[in-house]
Amino acid sequence: MTVTLQIDGLFKRFGEQQVLNGFSLQVARGDVVGLLGPNGCGKSTVLNIICQLLQADAGQVQLAGQPMIEQSVHARTRIGYCPQQSALYPDLFPQENIQFFARLYGVPAAQRNARVAELMERFSLVPYAATRSGLLSGGWQQRLSLAVALVHRPELLVLDEPTVAVDVEARMDLWHLIEGLRDSGTTILLTSHHLAEAQRLCNRVALMRYGKVVAEGSVPELISRVPGQAVVKVQSEDNQAVIQRAIELGWSVCQHAGKISLLLPHNLNLREVVDALDGSKVNAISIDPVTLEDAYLELVGDSSSISLNL
Amino acid sequence: MSPYGLLLDQTLAVSQRLLLEQWRQRRGLIFWAVFPAAMMLLFGLVYAHNANMRAGLDAAAAGILMGAALFFSCLGGTVSIIAAERERRTLRRLLASPLHPAAYFLGVVLAQMVLAAVQVLMLYSIAWFIGARYHGSLLLGGLILLLSVFAYVGMGFFLGARFARRSEEVVVALSAIGVPLLVLGGTFFPLEIMPAAMQTMAQLNPMLHMNQAFKGVAAYNLGIAELRFELAFLFVFCAISLALGLRSYRLLLVEDQKV
Repeated sequence: MTVTLQIDGLFKRFGEQQVLNGFSLQVARGDVVGLLGPNGCGKSTVLNIICQLLQADAGQVQLAGQPMIEQSVHARTRIGYCPQQSALYPDLFPQENIQFFARLYGVPAAQRNARVAELMERFSLVPYAATRSGLLSGGWQQRLSLAVALVHRPELLVLDEPTVAVDVEARMDLWHLIEGLRDSGTTILLTSHHLAEAQRLCNRVALMRYGKVVAEGSVPELISRVPGQAVVKVQSEDNQAVIQRAIELGWSVCQHAGKISLLLPHNLNLREVVDALDGSKVNAISIDPVTLEDAYLELVGDSSSISLNL
Repeated sequence: MSPYGLLLDQTLAVSQRLLLEQWRQRRGLIFWAVFPAAMMLLFGLVYAHNANMRAGLDAAAAGILMGAALFFSCLGGTVSIIAAERERRTLRRLLASPLHPAAYFLGVVLAQMVLAAVQVLMLYSIAWFIGARYHGSLLLGGLILLLSVFAYVGMGFFLGARFARRSEEVVVALSAIGVPLLVLGGTFFPLEIMPAAMQTMAQLNPMLHMNQAFKGVAAYNLGIAELRFELAFLFVFCAISLALGLRSYRLLLVEDQKV
């Protein structure tokens, strides 16, 4: 396995707040790694340190085996960065924005026009070639940001919540584009609030809490860490009674937004579950396989800032 | 690409982008041209009309170019550029790129030099039409203008990095600070007609010495020997401005990293 990005023991403090607390992560070449965690857990800080927008108090970041602090400008030419909010020049046309960044990144003049044309084509921006970037919709601006981030063929693409400010349709389009990048072997590190996004795009996911990784692995690996075979979702007039009964049965209980999720330690069918919960006032009940959402709730335990659904 | 080749290409990319943006914002460009042109026309006609003041017409043309035109476009324009980069969050995007800070700085200087050259042509065309003439060495005049552009851009970086957080603040700050400095710098009226106290105070105004230097060449055909004090002042002021500007820009980059 060739390691593209190796992060060891990052610490970062802002005033009294310890934002990163020994964050470590490894990204192999061709991997798409998703960083998930509640607001303020340090996801964006990690990306900012990788992109050299911030300096860590301690710890090391290596890109393809070379420490990044010692190769500042060179390292920047090897990373493609797509910020959360598109940072484009609104009065320039899309191809002019790409061209401008191509020059900053030192793309040779002989290849520049062809590269800009290729990205315009690949990201379906050609019909908007005569539209100023500031007049594009949020989704199209994010597409353009992605194209800009890729202009110098980076070894690592860093996406900071790439779909946070776009509508559902644009999000699906962006997912499709990122899937295309993944399938072509681009190494990507992304942060997200959408579990569905991580589940769809990432082949590895790192769950963060309090400035460090609390669980990491492929989606099936993370799901396998959940101590249950299936999840029972219950709606009841008397949640406490259901919870009490589930605890008596030795089932794990998770409560989110007034809904109860019960982790079954072994396979039971719906009839057996209803029978087991006998005596509780159950209004609605369903049994589903364990998902990344359940893994997240189990391993991170804070769902307050995570979008559980699309 | 060699490091120097990259630095040059980045500088050219920044300046071309700024000029393109200026061109696309035509409405702003019109106001940018109208203000000094109107000042030139109004003050020029006043000077030309009054027999006692006609001798000052050539100096008025030089003063308006240096003050009303270059001050607002080079200093004000640089402050606006910094504020806009912050507002659009492109400054952070640039920080994540391998853009060298010197390339950014020089790119802004280059763009402002192009704009300054256009203003010189425009204002001296109007001045010529009214009857004003340029008398001195083009080389020395060009050197003074070049140093002035560097000084204004340096000050622009300093003020923009330290004080201008939003575009709206730029206009207010320039009006509040800039216009009194222009009047006290002898941009519109000769220093001699001011009260003695104001004349003494004006000596502390860098604008005055920049004006005196360019007026000396353009209106009175003075050479390096006669203008040695003004030129020395201009060199020192230019160096201080550039140092302050670069330092403020570096601090801005560090501060922006913390956001």
